[in-house]
Amino acid sequence: MTASPAARTPAAGRPWTQPIWIGRAIALAAAVALLVYPLVTDDRYYQNMIILSLVFAIGASGLNIISGFAGYISLGQGAFIGLGGYTIGVLAARNPDVPIWWWVPVAGVVAALIALVLGLVSLRSSGPAFVIITVAFLFLVQVFAVNWVSVTNGTAGLTMPLPDWDRDIINLPFYYALVVVLALQLLMSWWIRRTKLGMGLIAIREDETKAATIGINLPVEKIIAFMASAVFVGMAGAIYGYYLTFIDPRGMFSILISVQLVLSMLIGGKATLWGPVLGAFLIEPLNEIANNSFGGGNARLFLFGGLLVLVVIFLPRGILPAIESTLMRRRTRNKAGLVGARIGTGGSLASLTDRVQVVDRSELPDRPLLEVKGLVKHFGGVKAVDGASLVVPEGSITGLIGPNGSGKTTLFNLIDDTIRADAGEIVLAGERIDGMRSWQRAHRGLGRTFQITRLFREMTVLENVVAAQSSFSMRGLGKIAVSGSEARAAEELLEFVGMRDFRDQRAQALSYGQQKLVELAQILMLDPKLILLDEPAGGINPVLIDRMGEMIRELNSYGKTFLIVEHNMPFVLGLCDPVHVLGRGKTMASGTAEEIKNDPAVIDAYLGEDFHIEEARR
Amino acid sequence: MTVFLQSLVLGLLLGGVYALAASGLTLIFGVMKVINIAHGAFLVLASFITYTLWDVVGIDPLLAIVITTPVIFAIGWATYKIVVSPIRSAPMASTVLLTFGLALVLEGAMGEIWGNNSTAIRPAYGDESFTIGGIFLPKAQVYGGLIAVAVLVVLWIVLTRTWLGRAIRAAATNPSSAQLVGIRTASVAALVFAIGIAAAGAGGAITGVLYPFVPGSHYQWIARLLAIVVLGGLGSLNGAVLGAILFGLAETFTSTYVSPSWATAVPYAIVFAVLLIRPQGLLGTRLREDAVAA
Repeated sequence: MTASPAARTPAAGRPWTQPIWIGRAIALAAAVALLVYPLVTDDRYYQNMIILSLVFAIGASGLNIISGFAGYISLGQGAFIGLGGYTIGVLAARNPDVPIWWWVPVAGVVAALIALVLGLVSLRSSGPAFVIITVAFLFLVQVFAVNWVSVTNGTAGLTMPLPDWDRDIINLPFYYALVVVLALQLLMSWWIRRTKLGMGLIAIREDETKAATIGINLPVEKIIAFMASAVFVGMAGAIYGYYLTFIDPRGMFSILISVQLVLSMLIGGKATLWGPVLGAFLIEPLNEIANNSFGGGNARLFLFGGLLVLVVIFLPRGILPAIESTLMRRRTRNKAGLVGARIGTGGSLASLTDRVQVVDRSELPDRPLLEVKGLVKHFGGVKAVDGASLVVPEGSITGLIGPNGSGKTTLFNLIDDTIRADAGEIVLAGERIDGMRSWQRAHRGLGRTFQITRLFREMTVLENVVAAQSSFSMRGLGKIAVSGSEARAAEELLEFVGMRDFRDQRAQALSYGQQKLVELAQILMLDPKLILLDEPAGGINPVLIDRMGEMIRELNSYGKTFLIVEHNMPFVLGLCDPVHVLGRGKTMASGTAEEIKNDPAVIDAYLGEDFHIEEARR
Repeated sequence: MTVFLQSLVLGLLLGGVYALAASGLTLIFGVMKVINIAHGAFLVLASFITYTLWDVVGIDPLLAIVITTPVIFAIGWATYKIVVSPIRSAPMASTVLLTFGLALVLEGAMGEIWGNNSTAIRPAYGDESFTIGGIFLPKAQVYGGLIAVAVLVVLWIVLTRTWLGRAIRAAATNPSSAQLVGIRTASVAALVFAIGIAAAGAGGAITGVLYPFVPGSHYQWIARLLAIVVLGGLGSLNGAVLGAILFGLAETFTSTYVSPSWATAVPYAIVFAVLLIRPQGLLGTRLREDAVAA
């Protein structure tokens, strides 16, 4: 099956009966219903329920930015609602002359600043350790609220000034203020999801170390995400506190609030725009029923605990993603899968884009582009890399061979800072980079593929490519990634490697060979000076090996320098000059392919006597 | 000086009890990479069962361990089979959420059965103390600490000196290879989970005598236990023992010299600090992450 032009641009010309439009119509109808509801009825019970649902929708939506996008599951999100409430409570009591609503944005800022601290924590821990830290964070905040009596009034709590407007419309200002905050929150989530920042966050969720190697500035992106996840939640917490008129540490910092937020996000569907909102509006009414009809306390525990267990086991992805994949299955039933489609033959990159041109070899400076001196890495007693030194001349395709366990991949890891070297120097284009982090090295022109491909499995092929960031700036983070110039550049690269037809497939659906091609396109997006390829010809078919060789030569003609680790000797010796041989973590020989082939030490340690016998048979 | 010595001895005894309770948590993590947030809830459950055995049947609460521990072992085994085994391959954060849910359900169940009022077990020797050289050592604390150490030694012998222990460590290091050499890893996992929970149960039977408790006490317990295993290094049994002793001392000294109300902040502060400064804990090791095969 060859892809039709329509399949290539799925966004264009979608009929109005498509699920996406049905979904948008539902969202619009829900928004209208939300806006007019308090005008048509003044049932306080349901108004209260919606107000609480709004608070949780904002909280879950904020949580979604760090937990859904960036993958840092937090059980401390409820703390930001409490902090918002306490900010307005403390400040309103001390400044009776200032209109109380002014403290709402201030509460947002306070929450964001404290989220910054939690963000700093995330720089050092991840996964379950981070979940534990967030719980500790929540309890620590609660302990402070209890013990810092002079400010918080301890367990006795704080009373807020009573609202000064007409009792007939008592709930309306709270209601509409929360609607506005929710709208802002959703707008921000929607925007983040489309930008380089959002791509970076999802990449962090999928594979943080790999994300760093394609130029994603981990600390900055994570801290922005943490602050973004808290700012509107702090505001919602302030409005919520004002609405309650009384706040105390037990109520505001209860772990059950955090659990309810996590549950809302999970049930609705994490990493989706509307999932957390849907979840919040499903869970809060259940919470009310548990409170009012079953006496609260234990019933709430059974409800939340039981739901958490059931959701994790039976609905790990949430309602919206489950609906989406069901629709997808229905739509693609009886159609041949694109995954089995032939890989395109590509074309020359210069014919696809004007961003590259063939360089004149004589104009390339005669200097080493990469120089590694005395690099050392020991894992306990294992000397994986033990004083390796090598030079990659600018404009060359340099080979790196050696027996298994000789330290080739570890050397790559040290060069791109996937692992930090114990000692030694790394110089790229005349600049010491051994003190730099992965993304800084990527920004200086280093691109690297992995032996076992490490694409971001849940992201589409296109998203994988646009996730790469060749430089860092705050403005750059805000750039739209999924369409426009970024997406165009990515599509050109995908066309070049022959994978453009697969642009909307998830990376996990691709074969190993296809993943290698996409990973190459991904690092080309960095516009690297030096490309490190870890076994580009390993585990792929002979036709693709030839194509890989062609692409490497072509990219080399545009001035790209290569360092290639490979066990396929004909491939290496046909392509590379010079070739370095690594043995026991040290460089044991360097030279042209011919010299290496005939070096007795190399034959003894790696190639073996059979190599020449096989060569002779060809 | 006597105050100092008394705090020291009490802190060490407390550390022994903490070590027992935390050993199960670190064991479960080490073998199946599951952080069991419900661990504290199982501990409190054991306290309640001990309470019933003492209050209704009239068995000495510290001797009741012999009954409580097998009961909790069975509950742990059933829990593993019903809720934990379906999500063994899920990401670690999911299992954290799942066991957290389990903790909430257990809290609700204990509230339904025993009520949410503070419960205390007061055996006849509850108010008696040994006096050695001017130091007062409450009998319950001394007995409790010694029993905890004894159970811990048995556990340690099982893990290091028996075929079962080797099977458990093999399954922890490389499950698929363990399966290839004939270890039924699914059974080992269930067994480890149950043993881990039973250790918490034995700990809970002792702590029930030392402190009053409510169903919601499990939050404090899981915070403490996590602080201990994180301090010692997740998955390391020796680390948990070391962490428990340091922690018992830190808590005793904070409440003696600072104030009991700030002592509750100690575990959270420790978790925070350790995970920031040395995420692998005192005795833990960092693994190579680049060598993980797909």
